[in-house]
Amino acid sequence: MRTVIFATAIRILTPLFLLFSLYILFRGHNNPGGGFIGGLIGSIAFIFHTLARGPKDTVDTFLSLTLRIADRMPGQSRPAYLSQMLKANLVGRKKELPDQWRQHSLRLRPLFLIALGLLIAVSSGTFSFFRGEPYMTAWWPDTHLPVLASLGTPLLFDTGIYLLVLGMVLKMVFTMSRD
Amino acid sequence: MHPNLLLLLPLLIPLYGAIACLLCWRWIKLQTAVTAASQLAWTAAAGMLLYHVLGQGVLATQIGNWPAPFGITLVADIFGALMVLTGTVTGLAVFLFSLPGLDRARKRYGYYPLLLFLQMGVSGVCLTGDIFNLYVWFEVLLICCFALLSLGSTRGQLEGAIKYVTINFLASGLLLTGVGVLYSLFGALNLAALAQMVQEANHPNLSLLPIAGVFFIVGFGIKAAVFPMFFWLPASYHTPPIAVSAFIGGLITKVGIYTLVRLFTTVFVVSLSFALPLFLVLAGLTMVIGVIGAAAQIDFRKILSFHIISQIGYMLMGLALYTPLALAGTIFFTLHNVLVKTNLFLISGVVAQAEGTFALKKLGGLYLRRPFLALLFFLSALSLAGIPPLSGFWGKLMLAKAGFASGNYLIAGTSLAVSLVTLFSMTKIWNEVFWKKKKKPAPPVKKTSTDVLRQRLLYLPVIFLMLFILLMGLYAAPVLMLAETAAAQLLHSETYIKAVLK
Repeated sequence: MRTVIFATAIRILTPLFLLFSLYILFRGHNNPGGGFIGGLIGSIAFIFHTLARGPKDTVDTFLSLTLRIADRMPGQSRPAYLSQMLKANLVGRKKELPDQWRQHSLRLRPLFLIALGLLIAVSSGTFSFFRGEPYMTAWWPDTHLPVLASLGTPLLFDTGIYLLVLGMVLKMVFTMSRD
Repeated sequence: MHPNLLLLLPLLIPLYGAIACLLCWRWIKLQTAVTAASQLAWTAAAGMLLYHVLGQGVLATQIGNWPAPFGITLVADIFGALMVLTGTVTGLAVFLFSLPGLDRARKRYGYYPLLLFLQMGVSGVCLTGDIFNLYVWFEVLLICCFALLSLGSTRGQLEGAIKYVTINFLASGLLLTGVGVLYSLFGALNLAALAQMVQEANHPNLSLLPIAGVFFIVGFGIKAAVFPMFFWLPASYHTPPIAVSAFIGGLITKVGIYTLVRLFTTVFVVSLSFALPLFLVLAGLTMVIGVIGAAAQIDFRKILSFHIISQIGYMLMGLALYTPLALAGTIFFTLHNVLVKTNLFLISGVVAQAEGTFALKKLGGLYLRRPFLALLFFLSALSLAGIPPLSGFWGKLMLAKAGFASGNYLIAGTSLAVSLVTLFSMTKIWNEVFWKKKKKPAPPVKKTSTDVLRQRLLYLPVIFLMLFILLMGLYAAPVLMLAETAAAQLLHSETYIKAVLK
């Protein structure tokens, strides 16, 4: 599947898939959609990216963060060191790595996404305990946002499911593409 | 504490524990600590639940605040709370055993989160008040059991796990069909709502209820390993390491029996005229076949696996007799059996860790080398066989008494005869593992002090469960009372209905 056309098309399509999946997630409460289907649509973006460019590239592009780290100089104060690190990681990322600096990459594992999604979904129900209502009773605070309409615990639940499904599919895709 | 929270805690604690374990996937020590905390909290939550159910009667909460026949209901009566509590106690023991008794590789591949998910499933089955939800919880159990049984992927394990999952998927399919039939007939799946329709007895489709009942008998019959669908159990339960098979073998099949009792005392009450004689025959056959199967085995764990089946027969016998005493007997026997069976599995694990095998032929002479272990096995085995004053005796006494009182001499006689054969099986293990001289004494292996400590630690869960077994036997009156109250509550489902549909 590694053709130039496909790989180029995926570059344009990936943000589209992701945006559409978020749209599906947010409209889910009163219209067809929601966390599960949103997560599936969102994972299409990653599946196509994996098909076009291989799992390693997908992980490098979307699921990992490379930090630049240097040891603290003797005599350098802690705040100064921190600001230097921040500057090196936020501003000067295009520049070549200076001597004595290391690269440290953080990877977001699909399993972590699964656990995080579960945590958000399960915890969204516990808000109702503080309000003296049964578990998972919906709570819609009086907010009116321009695009998202209203926010509430069901949306939080859906977000958890979104992450859970995304993590599940990514885990399967990465495992299968390894063989 | 409010029932809203009280009923959710036994579900949420293992779930949060499992999530925390997933989040610290790489750090096994952290996972162990999280699991330990979850086990303790889960036990405390179950104890609190039982305490409140005893004090306030049946508790119910509606998830999402949707009213009863439409939303998902969680209910706890005494039987359910007792089952959860027994589950937590065995869970604690199995966790203690897994600390020194399970290899690091299996812990690295998610033993702890899977165990916690499985325990959540147990709580779910025991506390749900909705048949579709019940089906879903059984799927949770099935998936977790499958993953645990195949964890480690040895050849034997995979073979056993595939047998397990194939037959259980079939059972799940039957259950789902049954759920569909039930819903199309009555338009409700809430246990209390169905029970109310059955009690009012004016629904036009009521005479068709047995059709749905058949699906549930077969489906849960497979899951509880009732004759003739038991063959998957001895084929799969002896393959995984003890820390897995002790929990699954000790608890999960009994959950099937729990569900049968629950359904046939609430919903399928009108179809009893055909179900009870059937149960009676099945109970007798399950007892006899299980115990005969056990007599033919020469492997420690396989003998125990076959005995699970034979004891399922006793539990089914109580349901089949359907008198207050018989149901109380079933409840008592189930509780006793979960503890004793888990303990026997754990003891077989201690033996195997010391000697490196489960085969009776290769074992021997443990009585001399480990007299305390011999004592622990002796007490558990006699309790399983039903020798007074140990816990098995009281359960079997109640069941036999109920059998004689209702004039079913055949089943009562069978149950007593099967007890004798159980004793024979246990004696066989005793002779082979503990009593006989080992033919080829193994060359003395030099043991390091950590090895010795590990071996000692393995005793801890066995002693822990032994205390409960002894308590249930020697101080049986409160537990018997509890079982009788629970049985009375089961037979008078009005309180259950009122608590849910208030």
